[in-house]
This record gives sequence, C-alpha cells and structure tokens, in this order.
Amino acid sequence: MIRAALLLAALLLGGCAVQTAALRADPPAGLPPVVELTSTPFFPQTDFQCGPAALATALAAAGFAVDPAQLSAEVFVPARAGSLQAEMLAGARRHGAVATRIPGEMAALLREVAAGHPVVVLQNLGLSFVPLWHYAVVVGHDLPRGDLLLRSGRTEREVMPLSTFEHTWGRSGSWAFVVLAPGDWPLTARSSDAVEAAVGFERSARPAVAARVYASAVQRWPDPPSLAIGWGNSLRAAGDTARAAEVLRAAAERHRSAPAWINLADLLLALGRRDEAVQAARAAVALHDAWQPQAQQALEEALQAVR
Amino acid sequence: MHAIRRPARRLVAATVAASLALSGFVPRAQALTLSAEQVAESEGVVSGAVQRERLLAALQRDDVARALQERGVDPDEARARIAALSDAEAARLGAEIDRAPAGANDIVGTLVFVFVLLLVTDILGFTKVFPFTRPIR
Repeated sequence: MIRAALLLAALLLGGCAVQTAALRADPPAGLPPVVELTSTPFFPQTDFQCGPAALATALAAAGFAVDPAQLSAEVFVPARAGSLQAEMLAGARRHGAVATRIPGEMAALLREVAAGHPVVVLQNLGLSFVPLWHYAVVVGHDLPRGDLLLRSGRTEREVMPLSTFEHTWGRSGSWAFVVLAPGDWPLTARSSDAVEAAVGFERSARPAVAARVYASAVQRWPDPPSLAIGWGNSLRAAGDTARAAEVLRAAAERHRSAPAWINLADLLLALGRRDEAVQAARAAVALHDAWQPQAQQALEEALQAVR
Repeated sequence: MHAIRRPARRLVAATVAASLALSGFVPRAQALTLSAEQVAESEGVVSGAVQRERLLAALQRDDVARALQERGVDPDEARARIAALSDAEAARLGAEIDRAPAGANDIVGTLVFVFVLLLVTDILGFTKVFPFTRPIR
C-alpha cells in the first residue's frame, strides 16, 4: 500500500531527476563546481508579480536601468494575476535588451550561469494538473552540495536542491531565457534561438542597433541566411546604403539566397543603379526557388525603371 | 497572402510610375524588400506574420475591445503586446484560434475567446493555453 502510494507520487512528480544525477556524477568539462553571480541585483516581488520582478532582475544585471513598477504595467495581466512567457521576452526587448531562449537542459543552464549570465526560468511549483507557475532567476550552483541558487519571489538567495529544481523546471517545459545587451549572445544559444531573438529584437529597435545585433549574430552563426539579410535590411534602414549593399551581395552569393538578391535589387534601384539592379534580380530569378514570384516582380520593376 | 498582396503592389507600382511621370522624381520606399522575418519563416524558424496581423486586426473591433476593458486590460496595451510578439509567439496564438472549441465558430465569439480567454485572461478556466505565474504564497 505504502509502496503503491510512493510509486504514484513518483509518477506524479515526473520521475527521477536524471539530469541532476548525471551532472553531479560526471560534470561537463570546464564547468566550475561552484558558481555564484553575487552582483546580480534583487527585486523582491510584490503580490503576484514574480514575472516583472524576475525580468527587472535580469535587465538590471545586463546593465539596463529599470523600474519594476513600470515593467509590471507592461508584462503583468491584472485579470489573470500573471505574466505571459511571450510578454516576458517582448518586455525585455522593449527595453533595448536582446532576450534569447536557451536549450531546456540542466547542463546548458549551468554553463550559461558559469559564463556570467543570470538565466530567467519558468517553474511549475505545483503539479502538472494543479500548476503553480513561477518566474525566478538562476544565479549560481554548487554541484558538490547539489544546490541551485536563485533570486526568487521575496527570497534574495534561495537555495534549492538541483533535483527539485529539475522537476519544477521540467514541468514548465524547461523554459528559460537570457537577457543581454545588444551584441552579446548566450553561450548555449543555437542558431534558431538567435534568429528568433534577433528578428524579435529588430521589431522594436532602432535600425542601427538592430544592425549591430544582426552583425554579431552573423559572426557567430554564419549559416542562417535570415541573419545576414536582417543585417543588410537594418543597415539600409539606418541609412548606411553602401554597407547594406555589400552585406546583401555577400549573403546572396554565399547562401545562393533569392531574398538577398531581391533585396539587393530593390536597394540598387532606390540608389538609381538600374543596371546592377537588373543583374541582381536576374540572379534571383535564375535560382528558380520558392521566391520566384517576388524575383520576377523585382526583375520587372528593375527593367521598367527610368534610367 | 501573395494573392492579396500582388494587386496591392501593382497599385503601388502604378502610383509610383504615375508620380514619376508627373514630378520626375519620387523617393522610393523599400517596396520589394523581404523582411528577415519572412526569410526566417521560410527557414522554418518562425512563422506567423499573418497571424499577428490577424490578431491586431481583431483588436480593432469594438466588441473585442469592450470585452477586454471589462476584464481590466487596456486594449492599447494589448495592441502593443501583440505588436511586440515574435512570429513564433504569434503563430502559437494563431494556432490556438484555429483550435478554438466548438461553439465559438462565430467570428466574434472566436475573437473574444482568443483575446479574453487565451491571450489575456482565461479566468473562466476553459483553457490552459499559456503558463501564467502565480505567487508562491
């Protein structure tokens, strides 16, 4: 009977903390056993507002001056007494920071903190069917003791067993993001995380700053064409047309990217360089890919443009 | 999407051509330029520019705006929030519209459902779409 109850409890709690066990038995190479980002500020939450408090903590740690009261107007939904995940990311971006998701793995989380980046995490402190959602900021770990250190709720230095954290974090889908100044990127982010973050950032940023973010992303993740194209577009929007043309041409050639050729053609047309625009548009058409309608249209416009 | 946009682009092109004929020179907008977002969508990273437009358009409705206000949410604030959503986030919301339960098949019902129940509140407890926060104590 007792064994059955224990088994049931184990099932409800989502099994054992396998990542924690593996981390403690065989820590990833280069991961310091003990890390604590003591200079991370603390904003105690008021009422239900752990979202704004966690976001304020992460923004301030990245060097952004924030007023938690203003943040709560932005990311807190009164009727539901909570903050949406999407709005946590958007809230950071609105304040000029780059918010990037990181992989939902304990090892990534700890490596990120070891790199000096506090990580905003979503935990489900309840059970899967009685959720008790909570945002907190991870600021350190102590592998020998098996502890994780957090700025959480009204507790400035919460010490939580790694295994407990793994359960509560896992029940939120292991959702986590890092807030950094434009140009800096999380250690563990993948290219798709960077694309999502840069595109989201561009939407509410000044073009010159967006260009800097894209440039830093392209340097680290040269593969996705979207990053190079975003870089070129932002340069153009910021008025640096010469550099924009260089970047778009390089992207077009490197990636054999129709959108890069189309955008280059559009830019060259605006600059009155009609013949080069025709050439770029022809290159886009020649690729015969999914962008054929736009490529044809670019070619038509270039051919019709007044000399 | 292209089917809707292409005639619009033709119209823009025709207007620009006409202005050129009249004035000799008109500064050109980035008429053909594709956004990084569209390209990222084609890479399979994000999708849902259309969904965000759909959400924003729905917020323009008086009945939706009123329903939001009744639940303590400023529609302008809601608009700003939608505008700041990434494609991936908007796509997730859009998918929830498409999955709206039977009975909400009239358009107003669906929109109110999305904004009031999914995006903003879900206080009636019909859905559990987005994880929200709650206090520890």
